[in-house]
Amino acid sequence: MLAAVGPPAARRPDPQRYAMAKQQQTVLERQYSRLGLLLIAPTVLVFCAVIAYPLVSAIYLSLFKIFTPTLEGTWVGLDNYRTLLVKGEFWTSLRANLIWTVGTLTLQIIFGVGMALVLHQNIWFRSLARSLILFPYFISTVVAVLVWKWLFNDLYGILNHLMISAGLIDWPIDYLGTMPNAMISVILVGAWKYFPFVVIAVLARLQSIPDQLYEAARIDGAGPIARFFDVTLPQLREVLVVIIMLRAIWDFKEFDLIFLLTGGGPVTSTQTLPLVVYKEAFALNQMGMAAAYAVIMMLIMLVFMILYMRRTQREDT
Amino acid sequence: MLRKIAFNLFAWSIVLMVAFPLFWMLVTSVKPQFELFRRPPTILPETWTFEHYWKLLSDTNFLGYFWNSVILSTTTTIVVVAIATVGAYSLVRFRYKGRESLAFLVLFTYLLPSVVLILPLYLMLVQLGLSNTITSLVIAYTTFALPYALWLLRSFMAGIPEDLESAALVDGASRLGAFWDIILPQLLPGIISTALFTFILSWNEYLYALVLVNSDDARPLTTGVMNMLISSFNIEWSLLMAASVMMSVPLIIVFAFLQSYLTRGFGAGGVKG
Amino acid sequence: MKNPSMISKGISRRGALQGLVATTAVAAMPMRASAQDVTLRWWSPQGAPAQVDAYMAQIAAFEAANPGIKVVFETTSDEGYAPQLAAAFSSGEVPDIVTHLPSFAIQSYYANGLVEPFNDVIEAIGADDYYPGANDVFKAADGNYVGTGIGNSAANMLWLRKDLMAEAGISDAPRTWDALRSACQAMQKNGIYGAPLPYGRNSMTTLIFVGVIHQAGGQVFDTDLNVALDNQATRDALEFYASMRELCPPGATNYSWGEAITAFVSGATATGIYTGRVLGNVNAQNPPIADSVTCVTYPTKSAEIPAWTFNDFPSVFIPKQSNNIGAAKAFAASLFNPDGYIQQLHAAPGHVLPVLKSINNNPAYQSNDIIQKYPAEVELMSQAAAGGFNLGYESANHPSNDKAGEVVGSGVIADMVQRVVLNGENADQVIGETTAAIDSIMNG
Repeated sequence: MLAAVGPPAARRPDPQRYAMAKQQQTVLERQYSRLGLLLIAPTVLVFCAVIAYPLVSAIYLSLFKIFTPTLEGTWVGLDNYRTLLVKGEFWTSLRANLIWTVGTLTLQIIFGVGMALVLHQNIWFRSLARSLILFPYFISTVVAVLVWKWLFNDLYGILNHLMISAGLIDWPIDYLGTMPNAMISVILVGAWKYFPFVVIAVLARLQSIPDQLYEAARIDGAGPIARFFDVTLPQLREVLVVIIMLRAIWDFKEFDLIFLLTGGGPVTSTQTLPLVVYKEAFALNQMGMAAAYAVIMMLIMLVFMILYMRRTQREDT
Repeated sequence: MLRKIAFNLFAWSIVLMVAFPLFWMLVTSVKPQFELFRRPPTILPETWTFEHYWKLLSDTNFLGYFWNSVILSTTTTIVVVAIATVGAYSLVRFRYKGRESLAFLVLFTYLLPSVVLILPLYLMLVQLGLSNTITSLVIAYTTFALPYALWLLRSFMAGIPEDLESAALVDGASRLGAFWDIILPQLLPGIISTALFTFILSWNEYLYALVLVNSDDARPLTTGVMNMLISSFNIEWSLLMAASVMMSVPLIIVFAFLQSYLTRGFGAGGVKG
Repeated sequence: MKNPSMISKGISRRGALQGLVATTAVAAMPMRASAQDVTLRWWSPQGAPAQVDAYMAQIAAFEAANPGIKVVFETTSDEGYAPQLAAAFSSGEVPDIVTHLPSFAIQSYYANGLVEPFNDVIEAIGADDYYPGANDVFKAADGNYVGTGIGNSAANMLWLRKDLMAEAGISDAPRTWDALRSACQAMQKNGIYGAPLPYGRNSMTTLIFVGVIHQAGGQVFDTDLNVALDNQATRDALEFYASMRELCPPGATNYSWGEAITAFVSGATATGIYTGRVLGNVNAQNPPIADSVTCVTYPTKSAEIPAWTFNDFPSVFIPKQSNNIGAAKAFAASLFNPDGYIQQLHAAPGHVLPVLKSINNNPAYQSNDIIQKYPAEVELMSQAAAGGFNLGYESANHPSNDKAGEVVGSGVIADMVQRVVLNGENADQVIGETTAAIDSIMNG
């Protein structure tokens, strides 16, 4: 990460040569940094155009009351924020957002670490097993949702059928339409879709734990469970912290999965903040209010984001 | 030995449970519609049929959406990977004022939620007269794909030893010459990983496509399939499952032939960022 | 507003956004003017394959008669058209012609200046050919017509299975809620449910429940368009709807039109609630029950309360931002040419019913197999639809309500149903909050 700039031309204590070389080096250095700036220029341009500028506009938009179809707006200052903070909908959505994030993240971590431990062992057809586990992470959310909706189907779904014939239930379960089922289902599908990320990240770390540590623990008479808690878990700590922060950020902003599975229902029980933004902008035609929701949501996430970035920064140096 | 077998059975039953929804998707897609309404449901199809695939390809606009998705994802990937490769080179191997804060900015945008950008971006594209085009989606997709690609390539770049480049420079190569001859070949596996990830991200994107495009000329698969098949007159699950399988075709190809690149991408960018 | 410096200067009044809209129009114009051939985009939520085939035939006939004009058909959906059109209007990338949207949606768009008046097209089609009053629902406050009907639909017919009724010993079709409930109870067995009423957070639930309120003798708005929910009728409607929950499939909590019709047609429910599209679907997808289906108007709380049929008045309208209004109007009028129109109606017989007398009396229209097979049902639906209403037009005494589209789009009525029926919240409080929410939409 710390780049050496230019060849190490002058190390000798010859003052004249040193001065000359230094002069040369600064010329070269200046050239290089100019080239470096040239190479980063496209990135910076794109960032300004499609990220920085929209970000500023989002804040600007949130100060207007805008009717979406006509885009006619009136300046309302901070009114949107005031209305939003006293409206129950913001707080219930934030609550749903937190329940979803914590719930699905916990399951992802538990399943993910468990599965990684299993795949770390030498099981039959390990690479095939790994492919099968990895697949849910890469399929489109649209596909995942369609498949799960079909599994959950009340009349013809296989899940209800299997559970009825196993004698677990007498009556089909309504997985997506009532509470708490809807939230549980969304959390489960989220866990299914995203836990492979944890598996792969943890697996990579597991493979780098030196065998001597386990040997030593075994000699000390530690059983498999003690070995997990004494050796594996401390070794995984670092990577788990990073995974948890990253997944927390991504899960918090999830839109597709919840929007397509429940649309936020029943009532607003699974309506998270990204769904409110969409609803305000295009169903209620209040684009300014939608922007206010988006800005508030970003502010909440900023806490996680800064925590994560500081951590990454520290690792880099 | 017995323990090993028991453990294997345990491990594989979990793996199969995780994979079951995908198996069920395949099975449903080859069952005739009337068999779906059978109670109790059949596990394996009694009658195999490919009529849904045929119907999808011949009677619907599926191929149109598929083509849009191919163009969209390919263009996004090329644009993003090209910009990100030189950008990452600059971020890792050059020194200039503001470099650190730039790297910080990349990470920040990498974590930024799309919902925040989508409204102003939408207005901006409308203003440029680009709304409802594939171009508008390419522009929108760079908002998440470029930070992602930069972040991945940055870690790949950092993994290339600097001595090689220095040696070439001592031999009189120019900086760009060294980049072309030394860095790029070394970086190629990383570029392939990044390209695959970018492609899959773009292929699967839903929210931007939902908001920015409302015409079949530019609609990609994700929104196209939902718009076309979730209708008010009939819900045909076998058709939906056939569409799901077909949507996953590029992914299946990647999995069959290029999977090691995907895992590598995880190692580089997945954990750190 | 795309200029960040404006923020610091504080020039941020209404003008900023209007400036944006103006720039959009200017920026977009040259690109479009350069196009030689005209392409019309046509949207409809009615996109069943047979219907699309009929549309294609109508397009082909129009294109043959009007060289240089191309028409492209694209489907939207009943649950998705509102956000899609909101985005289309704000981007200026509008379809040139939109069909089969409910009348109240167009009234809302017209009130915001987004719809081209339709008077001349109605003249071109032939104002005298319509059934009397057929276009009243499309009349705006300023006296213009905002669109016209492309058909009538009776969307909340009660569909029945004569075979299951006979099995359960029910001789007459239910006329009241009590009769409906006991019939459903008697027929709910062997994995078959009583009814597929929608309890989802979607527009079907809103639209159907507005009907239920009327079937209790109530109304959503009074004739001065004040919210009139807070009364016994709404409470009765909610109570009835809650009592039907156990007679509906578990997943009814997410049902919209597609799930509701599929449930009845596949035989999973003993009764159904839908338009005449059931007839075509039953014959195509589940022929064994085709001879046993019939329909009546949906029961009411008591025999004294007349039936209230929900007719969304499937429409045709032209967005004002279309760049080809002339061509779009010509095409809209051509949709009513007998050959193409009859083929379109036949694509879902009994689903969309003709609004023109000359078509209904046309032997070619009457000669359809399904219409021949179910003459009583089709006649009943025609009668019911002709006397039907919707939220934008709750009774003959109500003025047109141009906020109805937004009330439906906001989903507050579906939310009310979900809160009371699924969450078991106190009905009085929920009705009060719903009233306040609708009030704020009406004043907003």
